[in-house]
Amino acid sequence: MKICNLLSILSIASAVCSAADDYKLGPDSHRHDDIPAGKVTKHRFIESKIYPGSERDYWIYVPAQYDGSKPACLMVFQDGQWYQNTGGHTRVPIVFDNLIHSREIPVTIGLFINPGLIPAAKEGTKPRRNRSFEYDTLNNKYARFLLEDMLPLLTRDFKITDDPEGRAICGISSGGICAWTVAWERPDAFRKVISYVGSFTNIRGGHNYPAIIRKTEHKPIRVFLQDGENDLDNLHGSWPLGNRQMAAALKFTGYDYKFVMGDGGHNGKHGGAIFPDMLRWLWRDYPKG
Amino acid sequence: MFTKAYWILGAGMFATCSISAQDMPLTQILIENEGWEKVVDGMKFCDACCTDSSGNFYFTDVAGGDGVKKVTHEGQVSDFITGVPGISGMQFGPRGKLYACQGRSRRIVALSPGKLPEIIVAEVRPNDLVITADGHLYFTATATRRVYHLNLNGGGNRLQVVATDIAKPNGIALSADEGTLLVSDHMDKEVWFFRIENDGTLGCRAPYASLRLSAENFPSKGDGADVDALGRYYVSSELGVQMFDPTGRMGGVILPPDPNKPLVSIVFSGAGLEYIYVANGDAVYRRRVKSRGTGR
Repeated sequence: MKICNLLSILSIASAVCSAADDYKLGPDSHRHDDIPAGKVTKHRFIESKIYPGSERDYWIYVPAQYDGSKPACLMVFQDGQWYQNTGGHTRVPIVFDNLIHSREIPVTIGLFINPGLIPAAKEGTKPRRNRSFEYDTLNNKYARFLLEDMLPLLTRDFKITDDPEGRAICGISSGGICAWTVAWERPDAFRKVISYVGSFTNIRGGHNYPAIIRKTEHKPIRVFLQDGENDLDNLHGSWPLGNRQMAAALKFTGYDYKFVMGDGGHNGKHGGAIFPDMLRWLWRDYPKG
Repeated sequence: MFTKAYWILGAGMFATCSISAQDMPLTQILIENEGWEKVVDGMKFCDACCTDSSGNFYFTDVAGGDGVKKVTHEGQVSDFITGVPGISGMQFGPRGKLYACQGRSRRIVALSPGKLPEIIVAEVRPNDLVITADGHLYFTATATRRVYHLNLNGGGNRLQVVATDIAKPNGIALSADEGTLLVSDHMDKEVWFFRIENDGTLGCRAPYASLRLSAENFPSKGDGADVDALGRYYVSSELGVQMFDPTGRMGGVILPPDPNKPLVSIVFSGAGLEYIYVANGDAVYRRRVKSRGTGR
């Protein structure tokens, strides 16, 4: 009986996480001693005009090759803590070091932003978690937050390109649909998107994007979508179907897109493993300086 | 040993697979084959669903009655308060008094059986109210598009406007921990969330939860609201009771007992606080669920 229980638990585990999902990070995601490392600094933002009362940590990555003589490209990451972590699923600072050094991507400053939290006022009460509100909502608010609240913090100290082709945005799950929403709302400011296991499902209406994309004049956005056959299927929708619908709508409307469907679950393993190649594809025709 | 294996597997799955907040579908709320049961009918227009901490249920016939009716766990209905007509929202507050909105009489009163109503505020047009455990009362004034705060502990200038610019502020509820106040907009899809500051004012306003509409640009008819012990929010609306998880994500729509009549008020009450009670036109219904209320 106990063995049966264990077997059934194992089978559930494999169904949720998939039998495979054995993606590994490649050499581009490991540190090499002869390649100069950029600097990552941690900061806290507490004065949002767009999300009043919210507080969050953010990190800035500045590559060793940035000297201030000309504007750098920009790449923004939702759930910044995970992406800046050099032991995490994607290890962006290491990948950036390697691909900037090999001139496969331009000199790019990374901005890694955590979702907001409204701290509790009264003792014994809980903070309000703003992640879904900020990431899953289909409007221009998060784009405005980036442009009006966050970018001034960067341009104060660094030269950042105004060219929207030189600005990319990336996220996972709700952070993935958020990346799309930012470019969709403000293609004048961001035109390159990477989405890992993006939540193009009905958390707050994101399942509507494929239909909206098909009936809207083409926008100048380049997007890489990653998902897995064993991604979520829950009350909000089916992640694999949602991402397939997105890919079909992007194809129908003639977008510059790439869609990779792996066999993973709702995690960053596959996205992290192919992140260097996603960057190469995203920046393939951009001047590397 | 097997318990330990289970735990390790579970923790491993969480670490690699779970990057989203916990999902809360309606299956966590609704019990199979447990539908709505009628509690009272033959009224004109039921409203002001309310509970005491023991799970006795209270409501009013806001259009036809002249006071507050009480329903016991067993479903026995009696007059709790008489001679106080037109109550559209109420809740028990400090010292066991029942605080009630009498919009047409333009006042909020505190009620106790066998006693005359005590006028708490006059010259306002209240619709619905909530009271925190430490004695802060908040109420919506739908017609004047305001939310008011009143410190029942007294002191200084007591009544103040704490929110404006909501099209039709209607239902009002507190999070389980009383750190957050929410206000439904009868006209619009947004349910507005506020942080309750230490001085009782409201801050950090955001349209944190969005109601489903019957058609684009139609009013939501967002009305009375309540919260369960796990922090989920329940808002009555044209389409039914709309449930939201603690992060404001809609978890589902619980269909109303009678979709042809207005669904205007909801509260957890009954034995174990394990029933959702709703005012739905000329009747009150209840339904046993898996979640439980806060007794407020």
